[in-house]
Amino acid sequence: MIVDAVTARYAEALYRLAAERGGLEAVRGGVEQLAAEIAEPRVSAFLFDARVPATEKRSRLERLTQTFHPLLRNLVGLLFDKHREEVLRGLGPAFRQRYLAGKGAVEGRVQSARPLSQADIDGLAGAVGKRISKEVLLENEIDADLVGGVRVLVDNRLVDHSVRGRLAGMRKRLSSARVLNA
Amino acid sequence: MDLRPAEVTSILKQEIESYQGETSMQSVGTVLSVGDGVARVYGLEDCMMNELLEFSGGVRGVALNLEEDNVGCVLLGSATEVTEGDEVRSTGRIISVPTGDALLGRVVNALGDPLDGRGPLAVTDDDYLPIEQPAPSVVERQPVSEPLQTGIKAIDAMIPIGRGQRELIIGDRQTGKTALIIDTIISQKTTGGGDPSNPEQVLCIYVAVAQKQSTVVDLVRRLEAAGAMAYTIVVSASAIDEASMQYLSCYAGASMGERFRDEGRHVAIFYDDLYKQALAYRQVMLLLRRPPGREAFPGDVFNLHSRLLERAAKLADNAPQINPRYKAGGGSMTALPVVETQEGDVSAYIPTNVISITDGQIFLEANLFNSGVRPAVNAGISVSRVGGAAQIPAMKKSAGGLRINLAQYRELQAFAQFGSDLDKATQATLTRGEKLVEILKQGQYAPVPVAEQVMMIHAGTSGSLDEVPTTRVGEFEEALLAHMRDAQPDVGAGILESGVLSDEAKAAIEEAVGVVRAQLGM
Repeated sequence: MIVDAVTARYAEALYRLAAERGGLEAVRGGVEQLAAEIAEPRVSAFLFDARVPATEKRSRLERLTQTFHPLLRNLVGLLFDKHREEVLRGLGPAFRQRYLAGKGAVEGRVQSARPLSQADIDGLAGAVGKRISKEVLLENEIDADLVGGVRVLVDNRLVDHSVRGRLAGMRKRLSSARVLNA
Repeated sequence: MDLRPAEVTSILKQEIESYQGETSMQSVGTVLSVGDGVARVYGLEDCMMNELLEFSGGVRGVALNLEEDNVGCVLLGSATEVTEGDEVRSTGRIISVPTGDALLGRVVNALGDPLDGRGPLAVTDDDYLPIEQPAPSVVERQPVSEPLQTGIKAIDAMIPIGRGQRELIIGDRQTGKTALIIDTIISQKTTGGGDPSNPEQVLCIYVAVAQKQSTVVDLVRRLEAAGAMAYTIVVSASAIDEASMQYLSCYAGASMGERFRDEGRHVAIFYDDLYKQALAYRQVMLLLRRPPGREAFPGDVFNLHSRLLERAAKLADNAPQINPRYKAGGGSMTALPVVETQEGDVSAYIPTNVISITDGQIFLEANLFNSGVRPAVNAGISVSRVGGAAQIPAMKKSAGGLRINLAQYRELQAFAQFGSDLDKATQATLTRGEKLVEILKQGQYAPVPVAEQVMMIHAGTSGSLDEVPTTRVGEFEEALLAHMRDAQPDVGAGILESGVLSDEAKAAIEEAVGVVRAQLGM
């Protein structure tokens, strides 16, 4: 998941403040709810439309977040004050990533040609997690192009154990093989 | 050259064997944006400066900007194969090129991939060296002491170049800068008979930066025809290549040269040209949004050239004891960078930078070139700050007179144009000067061995040529040198061996002058 530097800063500040004040779970729930709302095509079309005045966006969003944790409401106000409404777009994943990092966990993907059983996924998550000393939450993605094997992508790291990756590696090694005088 | 079947099978066997084995964890990133030969990549947290990156289409790139949330890199291939969201893998390897004897006689690109269609290079992983390496330190060097004979009379006599020196070749377009380089490469054949396995052979590396491909092909043909390609490497980043390749090619060439230098051999490297390299660097840096400075060049454009030229060096004899990187002492790498000027403006940004870095410059002038003085070396403002120490004594002595005579001639030339009555001494100086200018003219692809240069310059400065018609000096020179080769071969050999011009040799030359003049009826 790509998190830009600005969004990461706001998410970090919100996380720390929520952790200090003891409202972490409430804030997390609020952020998730907000992210789900913003993900709605109609909401995002309205919220990120340059023609809609910021005051209108703000009042609508404030009405939407009325029941949320005060810290989250403050953040929304601050974002509008600083003309950083764009941050709302990536706030959900950024906060989630930070929240998981706080628990020593990280999300990742495991790509395979066929669906993996939950036991396989857990086994992989355990093995990869041991290597990077983090709890790994894996999601299975199907990519028939891999032919066989798995590719695990966690935390900008890749373990390629797929047939496609092996073939590519073999092709590279063969093409760069040393040529000897016969 | 054939791929051995066993070799292939062994790789396959290894591959199959390790299939179940531990797979290493690679660092990956995602392309955020790509365009104009640069890409921004998210992720790649442990990326190193100058690390080689692999894009999913097989295109390679080099990380140049390590920023807070992204990595800026230049692509070393076509950007059309890279799209947003593509996976980028780090290789854990600083960009490096193959080096060693396998490259001699070959034409390669900035990454060391062959371009001449003569198959892959016979190199191993150990032959790969990073393209940026630190230059030898103060204690690992020694002053210039051996000459690098260019075979060009005007240069060897008045602007001598020593091995390990950095001498700039500067001039407008079409003034013979590349011709000078070709002649110098051909001339190196005299050092080791053109045999690259001879340790005495000066090896040559020609780095073509943003040159026309036709020019590079022509140069390779010329060198092949002269039998000079066997000890030469041509690194070509032609005008069609990416700007990143163009600016990296010089460093790639330098690494190939350093390999030989560190083995105690002698290398001459030609960067043709550094102005275009600076332009390519400027393009890449502007696209990476580094702040522009004077003439929109980035702030480190001086360092771009200084760190490159600093790698030219004459190693100390005890260098291996100081630093185990050096296999043998006494090796040298001589750098002859080229800078093209616009309308003879040597005070522009890049020319002044490179002039201040190098140990002297050979200034080629369009006016001289057009008036038929070729090579068009302006002896008045060309200098060599350290090469004098490397000149053989015979040449040093004869060239001293040559410099003074030419300086006097240039001073009087302006007056002589008025054509009024001149006293005898002035006329004599003018006549002498005319002959000397004529002596310094030289055809292309015809380098002259140093002993013959000494004979000819001695004949000129001693006044033996004063009565020879100016238009026939060339003809006279040819005849005199042919006579010396045939009738008195030991004179030339004596000069080469002892390094001095003995009185007997002088007498022999003067006698030969008389014989040849009688022959030619002058």
